[in-house]
Amino acid sequence: MSQLKPDASKQISRTVSDPGSDSSNSVGSNIQRTVAIARNTFREAVRDRVLYNLVLFVLLLIGGAIFLGELSAGQDAKIIADLGLSAMLLFGVFIAIFVGVGLVYKEIERRTLDAILSKPIGRGQFLLGKYLGLCLTLLVNVLIMGVGVSLALVYVRRGWDPLALKIWPAILLIYVELMIMTGVALLFSTFSSPALSALLTFFVFIIGHFSADLKTLGNSSGSAAARWLFRSLYYGLPNLSNYSMITEAAHGYIPGARVIVVSVAYAISYIVVLLAAATLVFNRRNFK
Amino acid sequence: MKKDALRLLVIVLGLAEVVLLAHWIDDHRQDMNARFGEERLYVDGATAKRLTFAFNGIAADWYWMRSLQYVGGKIVRYEDSHNGRFNLGNLSSLDLKLLAPLLRVSTTLDPQFMAPYEYGAFILPEVNQDEAISLLNYGIAANQSSWRLYHYLGYIYWQREDYAQASDIYAAGSRLPGAPAWMAALSARMKAEGGSRDAGREMYRRLYEDSKDEAVKDMVTKQIMRLDSLDDRDVIRRLLTDYRAQSGRCASAWRDVTGALRTARLKIDSTTGAPLDPSDTPYRLIKDHRTKFEMGDVDRVLDGDLDPFIRNYLLSRRKGTLGSAAEAGDDS
Repeated sequence: MSQLKPDASKQISRTVSDPGSDSSNSVGSNIQRTVAIARNTFREAVRDRVLYNLVLFVLLLIGGAIFLGELSAGQDAKIIADLGLSAMLLFGVFIAIFVGVGLVYKEIERRTLDAILSKPIGRGQFLLGKYLGLCLTLLVNVLIMGVGVSLALVYVRRGWDPLALKIWPAILLIYVELMIMTGVALLFSTFSSPALSALLTFFVFIIGHFSADLKTLGNSSGSAAARWLFRSLYYGLPNLSNYSMITEAAHGYIPGARVIVVSVAYAISYIVVLLAAATLVFNRRNFK
Repeated sequence: MKKDALRLLVIVLGLAEVVLLAHWIDDHRQDMNARFGEERLYVDGATAKRLTFAFNGIAADWYWMRSLQYVGGKIVRYEDSHNGRFNLGNLSSLDLKLLAPLLRVSTTLDPQFMAPYEYGAFILPEVNQDEAISLLNYGIAANQSSWRLYHYLGYIYWQREDYAQASDIYAAGSRLPGAPAWMAALSARMKAEGGSRDAGREMYRRLYEDSKDEAVKDMVTKQIMRLDSLDDRDVIRRLLTDYRAQSGRCASAWRDVTGALRTARLKIDSTTGAPLDPSDTPYRLIKDHRTKFEMGDVDRVLDGDLDPFIRNYLLSRRKGTLGSAAEAGDDS
């Protein structure tokens, strides 16, 4: 199945030839084109049955809600929250990695990129559209999963449980982490094969959760070169432990607004850097 | 169509073979499980925490459920090999050597997870009291505002009959924000009468009210029943002694003292007139009046297990105290 044919190309063409727009380079037109690519990427993900993971997730929650009470000696609500949020992160990371690494590569491989770039659309716009499309897919995924976890908590408590609301800040942070991982996958997909990109993105996910150790190693290392290396890795790679609030959320702990705002600001900055780097690499590529 | 039917047959037969082979493998692997099942855990809590990065909560839950399955599995095997029900007061016979490491990994992965501390406070002292105290101290260090952990730790020291330490721990817990007023009261009671049954009863009552774990509630209920039974036995002994003093002979049947037992508000079996313990089981007692030795397990004695009586008889004869108990008239 082609990536952007025929829907996106038609939409982009419509955007370009829109009589209402006086210039193909106006801000409104640029946004419309980016939105068209994002919308199409979302449709593509839905057509590729990416959201079918929700079925597995729901089965996991139903099974957990029914059987955990027997196995956990009354800790079923905590375990449902842990299980639901952990599965949300795990499924989301797999989607971000395995769909993200193919976003650009498939377009190049199937030559559909030529049809898109022949339109008045920048390579950066194309990447941004692709990125936003996958983020939209993940948002839908995370929202449905979040509602599922909340309902499962209400079910196991046989009534209203405040934990059903208290987990949502942690869900927001999981989503932000997935946005970073999508950016990383997109960056790798602009210059590498899907298999290698997936591997590298997965490494970034793992190392991103060991950031605190990198900092400790940097501070405690005797060699100046090693200190420099570990500190570079610490600041260069995303610190994903900022977004790991699953365990705390399962106890009903809500992170402070300042923590959330700073974490989101860090993510936005990091994503901007990732997309800029991806655009830089993508602009230099020759597709002939 | 025929080919499809053939494929379907291959699938069904293949699955049946897989099930049979899995069954065979399970049967032949049991010996290995028995040999290696009790080996130390491969990863300690700190290592597990690093390996699980964002998923330490669900890993803690896994280790928690594994702890429950470990104890449950041991109980089932004990019951299978001993032809009967397992008594929760006899946990030390299960040899639960992996329980402490499992609970330790669970709490290291998620130090705010209270259930393993509570479970550890009740089950672990039967296996290793020092491990139980260490687990609770770790929990207190990680959750400094949790008065419940002081409650559990105080309970362990109370079981150890270290009433002064238990009192200090309850006092420390009572000063935490949100601690209930009875923590301070229990601290004072530990200091004044730590070994009394009333202090124990109050301790168990508070543990029952606070716990959400049905297994813990069940265990606490049985402990309260045990204390009630000890009170009952004191009353029964006193009434039997009174009867002997008044009539000049021992009671030959429960009917002889049923009226007195009723007056003392003990539950009575309407058919035999025997007093009932808190679980509604009739009290039964075999006593050698010459040596004062008694056993509640009547069936064991009737089955021929007289060794404890013979041993006590010989010891009393050697000490020259044979018959002094009966003469002293302390009991029926």
